[in-house]
Amino acid sequence: MKYVSWLLASGLLCGLVLGVSSASAQRAACSEADAEALDWLARMARSHSEVAYQGVVTLQRGDDMQVVQVARSIAGGYSFEHLTRLTGQGAQVIRSHHPVNCTHPGERLLSLGDRVDPGDCGLAGYYRFQLSPGERIAGRQSVKLEIQPRDMYRYGFLLELDKETALMLRASTLGRGDKVLERFQFADLSYGEPLEPRQGMETVHPAAHPHPDYPPAGARLTVPWTVSWLPGGFTATDSVDPAGPRRTYTDGLAVFSVFLEQLPRELRPGEGLARLGSSLSYTRGMHLADQPVLVTVIGEVPVNTARMVADSIRVVR
Amino acid sequence: MTEQLRESLSALMDDEATELELHRVLGELEHNVELRQTWVRYQVTRSVMAGQPVSHAGLDISRSVSAALAAEAGAGQRRPGLRERWLRPLASLAVAASVTAVVVLGGQQLYQAGNPDAAVTPVAASGVSAVGFVNSLGAVPMRASYGAQAVPQLEPAARTAYRELARQRMYQYMQEHAEHAALNSPQGLIPFARVPQIEE
Repeated sequence: MKYVSWLLASGLLCGLVLGVSSASAQRAACSEADAEALDWLARMARSHSEVAYQGVVTLQRGDDMQVVQVARSIAGGYSFEHLTRLTGQGAQVIRSHHPVNCTHPGERLLSLGDRVDPGDCGLAGYYRFQLSPGERIAGRQSVKLEIQPRDMYRYGFLLELDKETALMLRASTLGRGDKVLERFQFADLSYGEPLEPRQGMETVHPAAHPHPDYPPAGARLTVPWTVSWLPGGFTATDSVDPAGPRRTYTDGLAVFSVFLEQLPRELRPGEGLARLGSSLSYTRGMHLADQPVLVTVIGEVPVNTARMVADSIRVVR
Repeated sequence: MTEQLRESLSALMDDEATELELHRVLGELEHNVELRQTWVRYQVTRSVMAGQPVSHAGLDISRSVSAALAAEAGAGQRRPGLRERWLRPLASLAVAASVTAVVVLGGQQLYQAGNPDAAVTPVAASGVSAVGFVNSLGAVPMRASYGAQAVPQLEPAARTAYRELARQRMYQYMQEHAEHAALNSPQGLIPFARVPQIEE
């Protein structure tokens, strides 16, 4: 699905300018331990626009393990990224000409800048943090950041960041009982070496760049709808079109999307669930304004979150 | 996908598959994305030809058919009489023949015939609760009348169909979700690695 192309999204049109607001003043309200962890998260988010690297990453989900090559280079105020699958499908995803000063809501939540409510400590209100020295990963020394959810609406994480660059070297998503649902890990990493995308891939996908101020073009529904409940700390990732078929929300660490389909006929009400690692697909047949609809929540959140979000869908009058 | 598999799949959709072909296709469907897509495409085509709605023709119930076969094998072991052994091939053919029936029924069973009774149709979003559980409408037995023996009852059909819907939607929507997750979570393009099949 193509939204605004990167040409339009790049440069001045990227309306998401990082608010260099009073982040340090807000942090004073949080505990010392949280402040240090939040600093690491902000550095990690920043590393995204500042660090050029290339490497090989493994992604483990249950019995399934994928290997992908990732690279990012930065030139003239733009970043260029690509991800190439080395196992399974011969596919590549490319994001070129992304302005380095273009930040999206997820990164802003991690950076603690531009907060709506100046009294809160951002992510520290929804997660507990613990920082400790980490082990070597991909030949780099790391710091370990344990992140425990304060409520039941999100998973926990174990992030291991490069001690020098704050780049994420390993990330484990933890379900109930600290069960590892998904693990992402650099096997090999080198900094500052630009790498040309591999040639001759079967599938090359240019990553979309939804514009924050313009709703995505595409199919529209006849029933405008809204999600009336969100877990604390979640915010929409792009501008919401009430008649658009999709919404996406993030708290900075977790992301989920809600899709709505209008059905041509009555559907037996019910719900269904499919999981893959930390990813979930929750599908629910129900009625909205006396019309049968199918709601699907896709994302890296527990099933209860998905169910409650689906429960809260309302018609916009 | 091999030509042989394509033929088997085609035969299956036309109710002409042998038991061997049925097992081969079902086994292969588990891990062959291309075959799965072809299967879904065939179903859509069939539904269109039969004048049925397409929006849920993507239902893939291969797993419930596998379960039915397993149950049938189990039932066969419990009563291994001579008559059973004579009838088994027939029963298996009945399963094969009913595969397509189930494929279509899987979607049909979720659709309610006629006007829904407003009293039993839960209206969306009647308040948020921590549990928020929705009852599916209980078991819908399925049987095939082609063979000498009824096909063993599947799981409650609505539940199975919804589970398959959820799986299909994961295939359908994961990439669009990844587009936004990639810009809003700290792992760069890694969310795309979660997409089962990346499309251009």
